[in-house]
Amino acid sequence: MLWVALHFPLLSLESFAATLLADASEADAEPAIALVDEHRISAANAAAQTQGVKPGLKRATALALAPRLTLGQADPTRDAEAMLTLAHAALAFTPQVSLQPACEPGAAADTVLLEVQASLRYFGGIDRLLQRLQQAILPFGHAVRIATAATAQGAAVLARVAPPPHCLNLASTRQALAAAPVWLLGPGREHWEALQGMGLRQIGDLLGLPRAGLARRFGETLLVDIDAAFGRRPDPREAIVPPRLFESRLELFARADSTEQVLHGASILLARLVAWLAAQHAFVRRFRLLMHHETRWQQGDRTPQATSLEIALAEPSRDSEHLLVLLRERLAQVQLPAPTLEIALQAEDIVKRAAPNSELFSTRQSENEGLTRLIERLQARLGADQVQRLAGVEDHRPERASRGQRADARGRPARASQRGGGRARGTDSRAAMGGSSAATVSCASHPVWLHPVAEPLAERRSRPLLDGRPLSLLSGPERIEAGWWDAELAERDYFIAEAADGALVWIYRARLPLSAGDESGWFLHGRFG
Amino acid sequence: MDVVPASVAAPPRSAPPGAERRPYACSLARESARPLVRDPLRAPETLHPSLWLAHQLGRTGSDAVATGFARLDAELPGGGWPRRALAELLLPHAGVGEIRLLTPALIAAQRAGRLVMFFDPPAALAAAALAGLGLDVEELLIVETRARVVPGSDSLWALEQALKSGHVGAVVAWLPPRLRADRLRRLQLAAHQHDGPAFAMREAAVAGRPTASPLRLGLQAGGADRLQVRVLKRRGPPLEAPLSLELPTVLSAVARRRSGSASERAAALHAATFVDFA
Repeated sequence: MLWVALHFPLLSLESFAATLLADASEADAEPAIALVDEHRISAANAAAQTQGVKPGLKRATALALAPRLTLGQADPTRDAEAMLTLAHAALAFTPQVSLQPACEPGAAADTVLLEVQASLRYFGGIDRLLQRLQQAILPFGHAVRIATAATAQGAAVLARVAPPPHCLNLASTRQALAAAPVWLLGPGREHWEALQGMGLRQIGDLLGLPRAGLARRFGETLLVDIDAAFGRRPDPREAIVPPRLFESRLELFARADSTEQVLHGASILLARLVAWLAAQHAFVRRFRLLMHHETRWQQGDRTPQATSLEIALAEPSRDSEHLLVLLRERLAQVQLPAPTLEIALQAEDIVKRAAPNSELFSTRQSENEGLTRLIERLQARLGADQVQRLAGVEDHRPERASRGQRADARGRPARASQRGGGRARGTDSRAAMGGSSAATVSCASHPVWLHPVAEPLAERRSRPLLDGRPLSLLSGPERIEAGWWDAELAERDYFIAEAADGALVWIYRARLPLSAGDESGWFLHGRFG
Repeated sequence: MDVVPASVAAPPRSAPPGAERRPYACSLARESARPLVRDPLRAPETLHPSLWLAHQLGRTGSDAVATGFARLDAELPGGGWPRRALAELLLPHAGVGEIRLLTPALIAAQRAGRLVMFFDPPAALAAAALAGLGLDVEELLIVETRARVVPGSDSLWALEQALKSGHVGAVVAWLPPRLRADRLRRLQLAAHQHDGPAFAMREAAVAGRPTASPLRLGLQAGGADRLQVRVLKRRGPPLEAPLSLELPTVLSAVARRRSGSASERAAALHAATFVDFA
């Protein structure tokens, strides 16, 4: 058993600071931030502490010491959510991840424990694993102390020692624990005064004492903790399981008036989403951003409670950068009806699959992936219907013979692999294509450009004019008579004509000019590009 | 041994300048052997592939895309459409034969398994007609950027993204009229990332204005199934006479003869003869 403990000493401060907007932190180098719990300061960052703000001060005293102090309410649920995200990030390395309960009752947990013995070989040793673990939790921006030990309790204790030691076997774990201060044990903290008075400063000092006396004076739990830390007593831990649906919310410290500000908060939520996805080796296909708005005072105000933004991906992804780009493009189009107070991110549509290979040089697959992302980005900004693929429709009426379809980037990789799969098949499909084009050989004399609405042409002595100059008919007629089954009956005789400047155009007139009514005369329908 | 230096002796100074150039290092090595043969200062075009003499065609290397028209290839630097650069085509109106001119290059991109993108085509495209020209409509994406409120900017944003991504095989864009020169320059920079031909279709009125593009052609219909190409700008000497290219035919042989004699217009078809008995 090899346990890694991740201890986040400033977790609650940092999770509060993350909700502050980026522009607020740019005003001066490091803003003084402190958390308030029941009118007393519970935590203060380094900038606040240099101004004399210490935990335990009254709120008014702290504000008198540092007038520009940013005060936030301590919120255990916010801390727990941040903690859970870190645990999800750790789940990418081992399924055995648990949270170490806090020493003091009421406080949120601040240590994640990972059992990594089984993962060592895969990740190439404990050093590499720790390196990658640090990279995985880097995006959340928390200060972290990492310790390794042979027991779970031991790792949790050692992560609070500065600097945290790395012990790979039980003997060195016991040795490091014996030198650790005694108050690092949870129950040792409340008896710290008494223990110090007895000259017991290190955990090692307790080991030589009679167990019965220790239990009577300081409680049974102290002994339990020591035994668990030294590996003399089983210490089962319950592994956390990521929830099936992802839902995470973030209360913004300042209300966000613009979508840019919302985006800052959303990037935190996206990092959580990516951690949750990595924990279960999944990729998201669709997620939703909910923005809860400030309710207005006025009666009869029809401001909606929340704005929902749904983002669907052509190719499932868990690349936070790509997701953020998509979200930015979509958010840029949204007009917020009211300032946003709180945002939430939900995801349920996920795909579980193996992680893609990463390649050094660009390959067909990486190009397809890049192309998919390009199309997604264009669709996010321009609207999904603005990126189209043409499709032929079996209809003789030229205006109905092709239809623009919303481009689906997902169809492409499959086709590409099929093409790469076997040359014989590729030539087959080409031959089939040639056959079909031979069948519709008449289409070669149809123009590439079609006017969406046929343009009526002026006429002089029964010859059509284009831009005031006569057209000379070169070829035709080609009769197209179709659509009697729906309301759009077309009975037309098409001619290819040469315009005065030499360009070829495609014009028609109704088959029965007299009976056609206002449809009589010549119409320009297309141009040969 | 005597034969070898004689055969590698540089051609006389008066050799045709379009003749094959040697790399710099090579000519230097030879010079140390025969000091009087070739002085890089007197033939500076041998120094670097992007140098050329004013009466030569520029050499962009071997990575140009063949246009499919031998006469045009002969007049373009590198022997085809440039890669990693935006080529400007000036059209009086859509439908002079521009698609048929570009089709061979677009098909080549699709054959290589890459995608072709059209930005803001001026009219609806007919899938069957494109397939008839040999294009695979499945491998063709059409991006409409002008539906949005901001007119010019989004169109260029999408085009720039496509060029920058480097994952698109070939790009054809119909640019909005009266485009500012700095925007075009920006596109030109983006095109450096684009490994394939890129074409910008612009109105004919800009022919007099300067351009950042290394290649600018003016297209004009030159009669039925013919296209007149004027080379307005290229890396090389100006080309006075327009090229007349034979496009893939739309008309049957009979109709083409009719078009050839269309100057007198007497033999032109009378629609009435076909229509009246209907």
